[in-house]
Amino acid sequence: MIEKGKRIFQYIFLTVVSIISVFPLYWMFCAATNKSVDVIRGKLIPGTALLDNLKNLLASQDVAGAMTNSFKYSITLTLISLCICSLAGYGFEIFHDKAKDTVMSILLLAMMVPFAATMIPLFQMFSKAGLLNSTIGFILPTISTPFLIMLFRQSARSFPHDIIEAARIDGLNEFQIFYRMFIPTMRSTYAAAMTITFMNAWNNYLWPKVIMTDDKSITMPMLVANLTEGYVTDYGMLMLGVLLCTIPTIIIFFVLQRSFAEGITGAVK
Amino acid sequence: MSYSNHNIELHTNMNYSHKKFKLKTRQNLFGWVCLIPAVILIAAMSFYPMFKALILSFRTGIGAKMTWAGFNNYIRMFQDNVFIQALKNNFIYLIIQVPIMLVLALILACMLNDRNLRFKGLFRTAIFLPCATSLVSYAIIFRSLFAIDGFINVMLMKLGILKTGYNFLAYPNSARAVIIIALIWRWTGYNMVFYLAGLQNIEYTIYEAAKIDGASPFQSFWKITVPLLKPIILLTAIMSTNGTLQLFDESVNLTNGGPANATITMSHYIYNMSFKYVPNFGYAAAMSYLILVLVAILAFLQMKVGDKRD
Amino acid sequence: MKKKFISLLVVASMALSMVACGSSTTTTESGGAAPATETKAESTSGANELTVWCWDPAFNIYAMQEAEKVYQKDHPDFKLNVVETPWQDLQTKLTTAATSGDLSTLPDIILMQDNAFQKNVMSFPDVFVDLTDSGIAFDKFGASKVAYSTVAGKHYGVPFDNGAVIQALRTDVLEQAGFTIEDFTDITWSEYIEKAKVVLEKTGKPLNSCVAGESDLIVMMLQSAGGSLFNEDGTPNIVNNEILHEVMKTYVELIKSGVLVHVNDWDQYVGSFTNGTVAGTINGCWILGSIQTAEDQKGLWQITNMPKLDNVSSATNYSNNGGSSWAITSNSKNKELAIDFLSKTFAGSVEFYETILPKSGALATYIPVGDSDVYGEPQEFFQGQAIYAMITDFASKVPSNNTGIYYYEARDAVATALSNVISGADLKAELETAESTVKFTMGQ
Repeated sequence: MIEKGKRIFQYIFLTVVSIISVFPLYWMFCAATNKSVDVIRGKLIPGTALLDNLKNLLASQDVAGAMTNSFKYSITLTLISLCICSLAGYGFEIFHDKAKDTVMSILLLAMMVPFAATMIPLFQMFSKAGLLNSTIGFILPTISTPFLIMLFRQSARSFPHDIIEAARIDGLNEFQIFYRMFIPTMRSTYAAAMTITFMNAWNNYLWPKVIMTDDKSITMPMLVANLTEGYVTDYGMLMLGVLLCTIPTIIIFFVLQRSFAEGITGAVK
Repeated sequence: MSYSNHNIELHTNMNYSHKKFKLKTRQNLFGWVCLIPAVILIAAMSFYPMFKALILSFRTGIGAKMTWAGFNNYIRMFQDNVFIQALKNNFIYLIIQVPIMLVLALILACMLNDRNLRFKGLFRTAIFLPCATSLVSYAIIFRSLFAIDGFINVMLMKLGILKTGYNFLAYPNSARAVIIIALIWRWTGYNMVFYLAGLQNIEYTIYEAAKIDGASPFQSFWKITVPLLKPIILLTAIMSTNGTLQLFDESVNLTNGGPANATITMSHYIYNMSFKYVPNFGYAAAMSYLILVLVAILAFLQMKVGDKRD
Repeated sequence: MKKKFISLLVVASMALSMVACGSSTTTTESGGAAPATETKAESTSGANELTVWCWDPAFNIYAMQEAEKVYQKDHPDFKLNVVETPWQDLQTKLTTAATSGDLSTLPDIILMQDNAFQKNVMSFPDVFVDLTDSGIAFDKFGASKVAYSTVAGKHYGVPFDNGAVIQALRTDVLEQAGFTIEDFTDITWSEYIEKAKVVLEKTGKPLNSCVAGESDLIVMMLQSAGGSLFNEDGTPNIVNNEILHEVMKTYVELIKSGVLVHVNDWDQYVGSFTNGTVAGTINGCWILGSIQTAEDQKGLWQITNMPKLDNVSSATNYSNNGGSSWAITSNSKNKELAIDFLSKTFAGSVEFYETILPKSGALATYIPVGDSDVYGEPQEFFQGQAIYAMITDFASKVPSNNTGIYYYEARDAVATALSNVISGADLKAELETAESTVKFTMGQ
């Protein structure tokens, strides 16, 4: 009986939290299907203006181009970033010593200065190198982040050292151990890191808006920003743009969430 | 049989000790090789610009015309009432919001890690959604929810808690509360993801053994989950501290720093100083470095407490 | 077992090298793209092409594209490349480029918010081209408009859109309280408050709303009497500014009497009159675009001028809020072309302004256009008022104001003071704090 009561409480709690979390997305969806004036008037049921909004959006903005750019930048960044940072996190934890712990602490400093302060020197570098309006320009500053390295370093702490010893006796070299043992074992961490990195890359705004000066290189968040400027905002069209900008991250999360939560489950009963 | 076995063992042992020294060095070397790409990139993309910004913080002037100023920028920020207000605001957010958010995220992660729970995927996705939701729409919604005729006021009046509508964003403390609520709403699911991933590395059998020993769910949460997740909890604590002290979005989009600078954050002020007001990048860089010092101290303390290898 | 393992490794290394290749192809691709943009930039300089940054497809981008067509009639080879860049982004890009000393990323022409014009010209004098002797006829624009883009006697901008202040009112609501639009024309604020109170009592509707913590209304009221937040010599003029004292008192009274309500953001502000919860608004004339999105309110609105300050000798019923001007950057390899283009369109063609008006509602500050028939057309939404001619007339009567370089700082400081005064703080003490805040920011 107590078990059952607890179970019911659990469902109610999770449902309430979920509804609170999803509500803005629902609102966004409603807004995207309504006329601007209805959005401002706070209409909370889906309307019939979706096609009109879509037509206006496609007429005023290069949605396909921005989508393609955003996917190109974000996927490239996520893949390269995961390789480099997970290798570093592995190195920091598995072969840890005093020197490496110190290096890690120093690396952490890199994320503690607001980007507004380092943006201008960075822009100078990229402009001189001719990397404006390019994929490599977009991804280079955020490929290697202290956050991702530390995520892998902290997660690697639960990676059993006897597996490594066993693999060495089996004759695997160090890189093989990383590739064949570490990556499959840490699948859940990789999935979580992939989701977060993709999302951060997708939503990155300040940096692209400085280095993308060509309207062929714009990203989805920049497209949304275009929609909010001007004397009269078309809220229906704006929210459709926002919705299109949000959906990819949600899909990626939904697909990957299984990977970081399946397997050994049932922590608390 | 036993003889040959022994022989092989002896042989491997000898072989092993013979190569042991070489192996250790090679392994150690590999450890460093792993770090090289990441460290080079961070050095070039972060430390070099940070060094430039550090030099800038000792200079002052309008736009591109800068002159040497020594420590003036650093002295100046402690005479700057708006900046001191911003510093206080950041610490209020940090002290209240981060603990609530992390505990809530941990509880949700444990609940969703239950293998007998149905619709796990849906719940997880729903709770993750806020941090993927675009700032544009979420800011509009939060502002209208807390407006004087907004949903929250209507509910409070129906419940008889309030007699007339209360303009939450017009008073310092309630405006700060709105920012804190918005932050918790937005980032709890994000932190939950790391806990969920971390929980996968805990053997289920540990819990079963504890259960057989008569441990209550609360005990096993406290004695097993928390200690084993400690590395990840440390990570999220450092990241949240960093994120809150650099908070920008909510201050700009929810309250625009108002009423009368009661909710403005340091990053918001730094942004204004760089791009809204007459640009003074020297002063902006100096304020940025104060943030670095504050975060570094807090992160150092957190690591002292939480980063011990048992 | 071992074989399987090796094959796995091969697959793995292939996958890794693919990632590496992926990155290298993007490198070459972008490497290929970079020279392409460079050549494009060069062709801009070589051929008859100009690049422009501006931000509103329904408004200034549309105007630019029409200007391109007008100019192409005489210059068939001319090409205009408009890059949509929101104002915030434009300011960020401009600041970044100018501060890093690398102007090569800037286009030939940028659209600049009038409020930010002096700040940018003074902070980055190397970026802008002095247009004083370019042959552009600045005397054909309203004097108060030209003042925004004039720094130390030199002209840096070609004026574009109009920010003349209008008061728009729901005449159906006024009628219920026994008023017409004439009762709100050429009045003072004390008369306004008196009448608006009657409207509020009889209909339950306030006559105006604005965003809390913003200084727009304050600055509009200040400028309507020719007041500024700065003296001619650039020092802040806040504590001893009598006009500002009157403005603050009036504002507090508006709030206390309930005829002006505060909302929390721009969306709620637009919502307040499109929903009909508020029966009017006072703002730059560009607000008419938002009013007209509520199609069901067609024929219920009329416009007039804004109330003027009591007890101030220089008070008028006219002011300005917002608006923008075109600037030419020093990076432009085609300065002559850019000047010629602007002077033949935005600063020289009545026909051009007539073309863009109906679709965009983009109102000129170019005085010769005021007499045009297109501007005199009655507008159905406003019960047949010839609003465009009216606004052009208002614009010509706006007193000039001195924004100064620290305009945003001063506006924010005054807005902070205002918030505190409304919650009960002492006016004089708050203005003193505001002035010292501005002085602090000005002292490097």
